[in-house]
Amino acid sequence: MENRSLFKKITGSREALLTFVLLVLGIFITVLNPTFFSPVNIGQIFRNNALTMIMALGMLCVMLTAGIDISITSTLAFAGMSIGMLTKYNIVNNTFLLFLIAMVIGCFCGMLNGLIISKGKVAPIICTMGFMYIWRGMAYVVGNSQFASGEDVREFAEFGKDGTIGPYIILIVCYALFFWMLKWTKFGRKIYAVGSNAEAARISGINVDNTLISVYTMMGTLAGLAGALSVSIYASAQPNMQYGREMDVIAACVIGGVSMSGGRGSVAGTFLGALIISIIAKALPLINVPSIAQNTVKGVIILFVVIFNVITQRMVDRQNLERREM
Amino acid sequence: MSDSEFILELKDVTKIFPGVKALNKVRFQLKRGEVHALMGENGAGKSTFIKVITGVHAAEEGHMYLEGKEVHFRGPKDALDAGIAAVYQHPTTYPTLSVTENIFMGHEIIRGGMIQWKEMNAKARELLDRLHANFKPSDEIGALSVAQQQMTEIAKALSTNAKIIILDEPTASLTSNESEELYKIVDQLRDEGVSIIFISHRFEDMYRLATRVTVFRDSQYIGTYDVDKITNADLIKAMVGREISDMYPKPEVNIGEEIFRIENMSRTGFFKDVSINVHAGEIVGITGLVGAGRTEVMESVCGITKPDSGRVFLEGKQLNVKKPEDSMKAGIVLLPENRSTEGLILSWGLGRNVTLPIQKKLAKGGIFNDLRKENALSKKFLEEVDTKAVTIFDPASSLSGGNQQKVVVAKALAQDNMKLVIMDEPTKGVDVGAKAEIYAIMGELAKKGFGIIMISSEMPEILGMSDRVYVMCNGRVTGCLDRSEATQERILKLSMEQGKSDRKEAVQ
Amino acid sequence: MAGKSGRSIKAEEKLTAKKLLFTWEGALILLFIAVNIFNMSISQSYTFANVLREMPKYLAEMFMVLPMAYILVLGDIDISVGSIVCLTGTLTCYISNAGAPFPVVILGCLGTGLLCGAFNGFITTSFPELPSMITTLGSQIIFRGIAEISLGGGGSVSYTNTKQIMPLSTKLGKTVPVIILVVMLAAVIFTVVLQRTTFGRSLYAIGSNKVSAFYAGVDVKRCRFIAYVLMGFMAGMCGLFLTAYTYGANTTTGQGFEMEVIAMCVFGGIASTGGKGTLVGGIIAGLIITLLRIALGQANVNSQMILVIVGALLIIAVLIPGIKGRFDELKKLRAAA
Repeated sequence: MENRSLFKKITGSREALLTFVLLVLGIFITVLNPTFFSPVNIGQIFRNNALTMIMALGMLCVMLTAGIDISITSTLAFAGMSIGMLTKYNIVNNTFLLFLIAMVIGCFCGMLNGLIISKGKVAPIICTMGFMYIWRGMAYVVGNSQFASGEDVREFAEFGKDGTIGPYIILIVCYALFFWMLKWTKFGRKIYAVGSNAEAARISGINVDNTLISVYTMMGTLAGLAGALSVSIYASAQPNMQYGREMDVIAACVIGGVSMSGGRGSVAGTFLGALIISIIAKALPLINVPSIAQNTVKGVIILFVVIFNVITQRMVDRQNLERREM
Repeated sequence: MSDSEFILELKDVTKIFPGVKALNKVRFQLKRGEVHALMGENGAGKSTFIKVITGVHAAEEGHMYLEGKEVHFRGPKDALDAGIAAVYQHPTTYPTLSVTENIFMGHEIIRGGMIQWKEMNAKARELLDRLHANFKPSDEIGALSVAQQQMTEIAKALSTNAKIIILDEPTASLTSNESEELYKIVDQLRDEGVSIIFISHRFEDMYRLATRVTVFRDSQYIGTYDVDKITNADLIKAMVGREISDMYPKPEVNIGEEIFRIENMSRTGFFKDVSINVHAGEIVGITGLVGAGRTEVMESVCGITKPDSGRVFLEGKQLNVKKPEDSMKAGIVLLPENRSTEGLILSWGLGRNVTLPIQKKLAKGGIFNDLRKENALSKKFLEEVDTKAVTIFDPASSLSGGNQQKVVVAKALAQDNMKLVIMDEPTKGVDVGAKAEIYAIMGELAKKGFGIIMISSEMPEILGMSDRVYVMCNGRVTGCLDRSEATQERILKLSMEQGKSDRKEAVQ
Repeated sequence: MAGKSGRSIKAEEKLTAKKLLFTWEGALILLFIAVNIFNMSISQSYTFANVLREMPKYLAEMFMVLPMAYILVLGDIDISVGSIVCLTGTLTCYISNAGAPFPVVILGCLGTGLLCGAFNGFITTSFPELPSMITTLGSQIIFRGIAEISLGGGGSVSYTNTKQIMPLSTKLGKTVPVIILVVMLAAVIFTVVLQRTTFGRSLYAIGSNKVSAFYAGVDVKRCRFIAYVLMGFMAGMCGLFLTAYTYGANTTTGQGFEMEVIAMCVFGGIASTGGKGTLVGGIIAGLIITLLRIALGQANVNSQMILVIVGALLIIAVLIPGIKGRFDELKKLRAAA
């Protein structure tokens, strides 16, 4: 009986399941390589995946409204290149100001997405696909075939270089902010409402369009922030930066239990999803699995998690039906 | 006007949608603390009217007075703030969220910038207790039954301290027990001083609850009557505009051999041990309350879902149906209950809809679509059922409900190997004129010797058209009545035989 | 029971020039002409011969536009195709380098694509609860992952026996590249199947209303499965020809192809929500984008600027139906009042 309820708890909530997976993973890795859980290693896991983790928060909100945004890494590149150029040519050198500019650019990009998706009734994937091309192209255009190297952004990179706590603080602040917003504010409720049943939300007086615009604007702002952070952490700004990594962000959310049809997902789950992907990337080489197998493992985990979910749901439905008296 | 007698009054309200006048100068008066029924056929404008009251739609013309003062709602929020809450026909819940989250959506308790979850959970618990609900505030709505979802919606209305609560067909998807529960809740609310507008198709709801009834027809106001002073017949006349004694042209048909038989079919959670048979030229009605498993049985016959056990025979041969294509090949044609989601592809032209099931038969070599043949054939069948359309290329979405149903019928007729037709609620949402035409077609089909199964919730239709009536309740066949012995009372009694599995007296 | 009112319903459709032009395909043809004029104005070397010479570089993707149209018409999406290109390209090189004869190489390549497609098809049809975006996201990562594993630490492989694969990149009669002929043949077949056969009709039925289609006897599961298999097969075709022009593969081969292909389809009027658009539109849209790329390349326009233009075209294209719809609604509203 005890066992069964534990099993139910684990399969019933995605967060519990992911924590369980993380624990097993942690024990497994530690047994094979006891050096894994050193503070340095763990710090690096967070630092190397800060971008994915931050953008996953925005993607969580977007997916809660049953949308998707695949333009984020292009926005990131556009914002990152913009501030890279600004600091390269010494137009702006203030770190805070550069962060702000990157976020404003991201905010603008996101707002455009939101406007077109809500007012123009365009499918999110198509709209953001268009902007994926536009902002990536703009990243090249602002750079004018140039890029910013470590020399160029030296001062700015001080913020994010190895050993500083800047990126960690940003990460913690973002997660705290979004946790609070989604759990304890009216606005957070609106996001869930729009994604769970847009028609009902409209009938109960929620402005669906505005909610969508805000959500995509937040996503863009976070992508802009991630752009600045990327320049700072990797000490370079290139127009092709983070190319194709939007799928990692989506994958983190999907593993974290965020439903693509909207209305289901949490900050905790998203965090755990992103963490699992990050740990696998870091751990594979340490347990003598060549790092080139990283993607395969990641893909298998995604499929495993989502299919496992479907199968348990089918079992639950079946049980409910069997309980019906006739 | 005295501002104390009516809590809500609407005058000359007109609402226009692209292409149609959904409301035409309707009026309505709601007394303080009364339960007021609003009745009318589908498409009479009741739902639109409700949405005008709740601020979802803005009316083009007209005035609305709340406690004697004129009000203009710019959106649903205004109506909620003014104390008007609605529970819609299809529960407008948030399926992925918990009961508490649903109840307080839009009016959360917030203090110090934080939503007070504990307080809200406690309040939700309180509301559910008040309604004698048997589920928890933490349950996810999507996993609850329709009745429970409805209760949540009522709890939500209560949580806003609404003075007026509108219930839009609340009993449509409830079992009789659940309906009884709902009646008690409505009584309780009325005693607490809440004014209630109650939309329903069921006369029993009206008699049980309402003191006055207002009737709409064809987007217009027909009249308001005291429930204890109006007769059933007069009310029907007000609703449909004429007497309906000539509605059912049941032809005299010589009933032939048995052509179809279901033996002991079961599907976990939906129906159990169902046996039904049909003879050539016979119209077999299947009735019972919504959710009794009628549709589910027929879906299993047609390969839409898989039954767990049971056998199906057509003309003496056992069928092995795995998917809809198999049953269609055998000669069983299903006219599904929901035209727009199951019966038709609304964005397609009529012709294509008609020929979709037989496209392979018409195609050259079974592969290449033969447009000329398809167009000629669909024209023939669409004309045969007298569809009101200009060309066969008109999108199905441009037709009225009745004409859409005719297209579905044409689609069935086009299947030339048809032996058995299963019609699931063939006249749901169909206007009176088209209804009569559909009955006429049914009669013709019976004359030609097809077997016909008609699933219906409408008592007059069942009594008027069927040769035999099977009644289902809670997944079981509780009785089978001959045309001569079928009466409204007997059918109602059989359809409420909750969970008595040993009840076999009338099954033949 | 013949029509009592004797009402007759027309079954003939008159095709007028005006009607044709007002379809999305008509607009695309106009745009196609406009783009060619624009191209000639910005580039001196935009001549037929030159275009013919440069086109093959871009044409491999065209193979995937065709089945992607099927997938989108179904209302599905497949974002794993870029990875299938990478995987098939990689394996093609390895099979050939191991000394296999050319037919075996081709079979291996197309077979791998087919298997990848079958995998996608199996997962999506076995678990219809999952959006195809998620299942193909998983397989996208897995397929590229397998390619990465086979490529090893170096991350790239070359096709050593270049003579063997040369026939695929030659020109017939010294003018017409083989790939153009193959693409044209595939385009004709795919278009005919989609617009003229029962299978194509079934795809539209599923994309327009899956439930109604199922009730009408359409085998939804089989149709979807076949579409994914075709998708995989044509991605293999793309991988094969790409290898023929690049003589190798690496971990980034085919990256981003899925989005380019989807963009071409959507620009061609095939809605991602299913049931809408024709392959003719998709093919013209693909040609427009390809020609634009060639001309901008010739004119030495920053090669990345093309991204901005393609993106902008896409957004404008998808906004137009919405704007038109709103306009029509206003008109109707006025008519009713």
